[in-house]
Amino acid sequence: MWQGLFQIALTLLPIVLLTPILGRYMARVFQANPAIPAPLDRIFAPLERGIYRLSQIDDREMMTGWHYARAIFASNIVMAIFVFTLLMTQGGLPLNPTGLGAPTWDTALHTTISFLTNTDQQHYSGETTFSYASQVFGLGFLMFTSAATGLAVGIAFIRGLTGRSLGNFYVDLVRSITRILLPLSIYIALLLLVTGVPETLSPPVTATTLDGATQTISVGPVAHLESIKQLGENGGGFFGANSAHPFENPNGFTNLVATISMVIIPAALIHTYGIFAGNPRQSWLIFGMVFIIFIISIGIAAIGEYDGNPIINAQLGSPQPNLEGKEVRFGWAQTALWAVATTGTMCGAVNGMLDSFMPAGGLVTLFNLFLQIIWGGQGTGTAYLFVYLILAVFLTGLMVGRTPEFLGRKIEKPEIILASVVLLVHPIAVLIPSAITLAFPETLSGISNAGFHGISQVVYEYASASANNGSGLEGLADSAPAATGLWWNLSASMSMLFGRYVPILALLLLADGMSRKQPVPMTTGTLRTDTVLFTSVTAGVILVLGALSFFPILALGPIAEAFQISKL
Amino acid sequence: MKTITVIEDLQSIATKLSSRKLTRYLLWSSGINLILAPVVYAATGGTISREQSYALGLLGLVTVALSIYLFAVIFQPEKF
Amino acid sequence: MTSIPRSQRKHTPKAKSKGMFARAIKQSFLKLDPRIAVKNPVMFLVWIGTIITAVMTIDPNIFGTVAGGDLRLFNGLICVILFATVLFANFAEAFAEGRGKAQADALRATKSDTTARKVLADGSISDISSTSLRKGDIVKVIAGDMIPADGEVTSGEAAVDESAITGESAPVLKQPGTDIASSVTGGTRILSDELLIRVTADPGKGFIDRMISLVEGADRSKTPNEIALTVLLAVLTQVFLIVIATLSPVANYAKAPVSIAVLVALLVALIPTTIGGLLSAIGIAGMDRVAQFNVIATSGRAVEACGDINTLVLDKTGTITLGNRLAEEFIPMATHDLASVAQIALGSSLFDETPEGKSIVILAQKLGAVQEVDRATATGIEFSARTRMSGTDLADGTEIRKGAVDAIKGFVRSRGGQIPPDLDAAYERVSRLGGTPLAVCQGDDIYGVIYLKDIIKPGIRERFDQMRQMGIRTVMLTGDNKITASVIAAEAGVDDFIAEATPEDKIEVIRAEQALGKLVAMTGDGTNDAPALAQANVGVAMNSGTQAAKEAANMVDLDSDPTKLIDIVTIGKQLLITRGALTTFSIANDVAKYFAILPAIFASAGIGSLNVMNLASAQSAILSALIYNALIIPALIPLALKGVKFRPLTAEQLLQRNIFIYGLGGVIAPFIAIKAIDVLVAAVGLS
Repeated sequence: MWQGLFQIALTLLPIVLLTPILGRYMARVFQANPAIPAPLDRIFAPLERGIYRLSQIDDREMMTGWHYARAIFASNIVMAIFVFTLLMTQGGLPLNPTGLGAPTWDTALHTTISFLTNTDQQHYSGETTFSYASQVFGLGFLMFTSAATGLAVGIAFIRGLTGRSLGNFYVDLVRSITRILLPLSIYIALLLLVTGVPETLSPPVTATTLDGATQTISVGPVAHLESIKQLGENGGGFFGANSAHPFENPNGFTNLVATISMVIIPAALIHTYGIFAGNPRQSWLIFGMVFIIFIISIGIAAIGEYDGNPIINAQLGSPQPNLEGKEVRFGWAQTALWAVATTGTMCGAVNGMLDSFMPAGGLVTLFNLFLQIIWGGQGTGTAYLFVYLILAVFLTGLMVGRTPEFLGRKIEKPEIILASVVLLVHPIAVLIPSAITLAFPETLSGISNAGFHGISQVVYEYASASANNGSGLEGLADSAPAATGLWWNLSASMSMLFGRYVPILALLLLADGMSRKQPVPMTTGTLRTDTVLFTSVTAGVILVLGALSFFPILALGPIAEAFQISKL
Repeated sequence: MKTITVIEDLQSIATKLSSRKLTRYLLWSSGINLILAPVVYAATGGTISREQSYALGLLGLVTVALSIYLFAVIFQPEKF
Repeated sequence: MTSIPRSQRKHTPKAKSKGMFARAIKQSFLKLDPRIAVKNPVMFLVWIGTIITAVMTIDPNIFGTVAGGDLRLFNGLICVILFATVLFANFAEAFAEGRGKAQADALRATKSDTTARKVLADGSISDISSTSLRKGDIVKVIAGDMIPADGEVTSGEAAVDESAITGESAPVLKQPGTDIASSVTGGTRILSDELLIRVTADPGKGFIDRMISLVEGADRSKTPNEIALTVLLAVLTQVFLIVIATLSPVANYAKAPVSIAVLVALLVALIPTTIGGLLSAIGIAGMDRVAQFNVIATSGRAVEACGDINTLVLDKTGTITLGNRLAEEFIPMATHDLASVAQIALGSSLFDETPEGKSIVILAQKLGAVQEVDRATATGIEFSARTRMSGTDLADGTEIRKGAVDAIKGFVRSRGGQIPPDLDAAYERVSRLGGTPLAVCQGDDIYGVIYLKDIIKPGIRERFDQMRQMGIRTVMLTGDNKITASVIAAEAGVDDFIAEATPEDKIEVIRAEQALGKLVAMTGDGTNDAPALAQANVGVAMNSGTQAAKEAANMVDLDSDPTKLIDIVTIGKQLLITRGALTTFSIANDVAKYFAILPAIFASAGIGSLNVMNLASAQSAILSALIYNALIIPALIPLALKGVKFRPLTAEQLLQRNIFIYGLGGVIAPFIAIKAIDVLVAAVGLS
């Protein structure tokens, strides 16, 4: 057991050490202080200028919240049309060594929306559905742009919150890719290549096994997709088995690199905020708060897996860790850590079967999806964190007898309305479709497990879609040939769109409003938000608001399941 | 002449009824419920009677109405 | 300036509490009218829930056949408890309104419909009802009349009894032109002589009318913070509505079906009914508290803004120091002796009717000076802000003056005199003592300096210390010179001061602070304060002040006590704290309610072990949680009406305290209470 926990600690250490550095770098890239030029300007600036000139972007134009949101919607619609067309016509396009035809329209639509919204929920098996061209130019392209879009929203939000103008979406999008995502993912891809992940355009390899049978082994341009898949919180694997596949994640080292790259950007963004706000103390406190919740989550999931299934243990006569659905090369500890990291960060890649987790792990992963801030999605996660912070400020601010204010800016009706929208989107996008699906279990869902676990599966699917995570408990007949595939594809698409764009609009308007407020000077009567007390209260607000909305569902899902297993 | 007055009467009754918000809402909701109730009936797999499915449908409509009302409060709190 | 201590002051007639309960109970039923109920989203949901459970009491199987014992009784009990919850919330509001109404009735008694003598354009007088008076009308009032409307005296001089609104029994002299005494308030009574008054407010728009509608709760325009809180409560309600509405199919799937009545019960338990039921009562009670302090606020918004004040701009005189400075000492110049200084000082103050002037006369006489000047032949020179000196011109042309030292210096120079070398030393000495130095001269010869002593109000320093702790900066404005001002400022403990201030400086100070994003409060009384009162975020006019000042301000203090602003700040903060604390309490309660209800209703799903309170049965668990939910509203009415006690602590300390009591307390208290109720419910056999 201690060895497993030691592995986990060893993985977390680099995250704590690297995030402040990356955070500082991102702050300079996004011009926290316009007087200090961003690092490596000499290399990137001419390249970016070329891109701006080519696409006729005025990089000095400052956007309002509405402008910024409109730019996001417009660019995303164009990308969606492009990728949808690409997927539907892949049969006639080159780089299709296995001769794959067009998928069903709803699979293509779901996949497009899924990658566009940074969700990467996959109702298909990558290697047998999409050609190399579709994966690289369609999905790979969206992996970069969707991550960059999220990052841009996060940065615009931080700018607004700290009283700056929101910036220019196109510039932020380009800079996110050229200066952060591209260099880091090239670096990670090289690391993965060295350690055995394939990167090739050649068709699948045919091998003859020792028994003399013929086996087709899928390969492809995996390494570069793998790096952005992890780094950009995408999670859509080249292979159906995702990071459990030995070509996506061959060994302990790649697993370590992949885990760190999932967490690093959303975690570093908290430090970026600290630099923008000029308050590193607060960013460390928030970082610490999320880190503690993160560690507790890992602890619960890991202990649950280590203790194993009581029913099986009773038959074996000795306690064994739960290794069902896990890769032996990762073991219970690394799989539990990965599960918490992937659901917390909205990455959604998996290196084991989440469906096979013990109820404790199921509870934690679901809870992560409900909260969306245990690091959270690329950019948006940090923004959600501050939405919770604003709600905490509102309650506590009243309790000290002043109109609540955050960073000297008053929290008034428009802010509460917009923060509330963010708070409301998730229950709507998760609970309503789940209820409909569970009301018609035969016709709509095709759930493999009846009972409590079935509830977890359905709720997880929508929570994952709405939170733009993309991982799944599987076990649902959601792939196109199945009769229920159409329902799953369309309803999950709705949840993804709703869970992505409504909060983005609300966040940008919120930031825009905050940036226009006249800051109020600090006095001793002002509630300081960079204290341990306030941060603890925020943690309480996050847990209570998160738990209150989803406690009944958790009670009927993983909690009931846990009691069921322990009783048998 | 007579038919015209009858029509006018009917028209005035119709406008009166439709001008009353409550009447209009009730008419609409019972209309929607005609579609909703069979869906509810189907969802429960015949474990409830037709009357119960109408009641449930109505309850669902009340819930939706309350939800819309709450959205109105959220976006225009000054009016409440 | 009133000098009666607040405790002995006769307040606005105490509200009659007789019959208030009965009236509030009657009102709580009248408020069940859907058109009124719809104004409170949280309680409206409970009301709808009551109706649904009532239907289910008549036919428990209307929404699907439910297995179980005597469901009619159970549903009936839920229905009754929900109904009680709505009534309790209505009662809280009705009771707060009732108290306000009683306060308003007392105010209104002063304001009966009287006959007014309107002076027409041709000078003739016509008797009309006071309600038909309009702004700009001229009315005549004679001894014994009730003054029909707020207005300004245009001619005449009369004593007016203002006790109806101020509780101050001494009559006040009213005359035209003067800043202080020219404004009259409708509802007060003229005791002697007669006045011509120009009406400054349409009936129903006067201060009293505004206050009446505020304390009655008729003017229910919500304050900004209240609106934001309403949004948050509606959102929480919306979230729970979705959670509960979607729970039914999920529960059915898990083969643990739940009856609609129980779902309604769960919904009501989870939505923030505690704060939802008390929110409007808190606001009305806040206005009531302001009224009890004898302050008339023109809007709830102004009271709330008081809680946010960053800077307080105060006049020195009357606020920080006792109104009158008294002559303490005469300091002769080297060329003169004490007796001659006293003689000149006496001569200079012959026509000076101010308390300062009189104190100079008394001190001079004590030192043996005798009045030699014949009052009949001399002329008095009045003090003006421009010359900053006053004095007496004798029949023979001798000019005796006293005034600010530099003003006298200028005067003497203009008469060709010399400035005594020891003048500056005396000036400095007095200033360093915190006193006001006045130079006295006869013709071109400066005789000496009068030391006027300022007395700082006892206890004022402590109040400023409290303000500082609350994060409020105090700025003192004074006409004194810099040295005096700094000494007084240090002694009184204000954070900043503006010496030799003119009325324009007031606006400048306020604008400068506002430019930094601060909210500024100030008090004022004179006409020249009106622009500054209007500029300030919170302007409190003294009732003794001019009509212009009162119009510009958003609060009027009937006692004309400038330090009362500090109390209003406390009330404003208390309002916000009470709202925040009860909201936190309400949300924290949900944790316990979940643990009571969920294990009970999903016992068939095998989560019965979550029943940590060990409640007797599923029925009693639901009933206990609901009873707690209903009873907590009346239990907290006293707190809502009185407000959470405000202590002048830093934000951090306040948060710590309130989070501990209302956050942590809100999590723990219901566990104990629900368990206790459960024991009772089981004892009467309802489990």
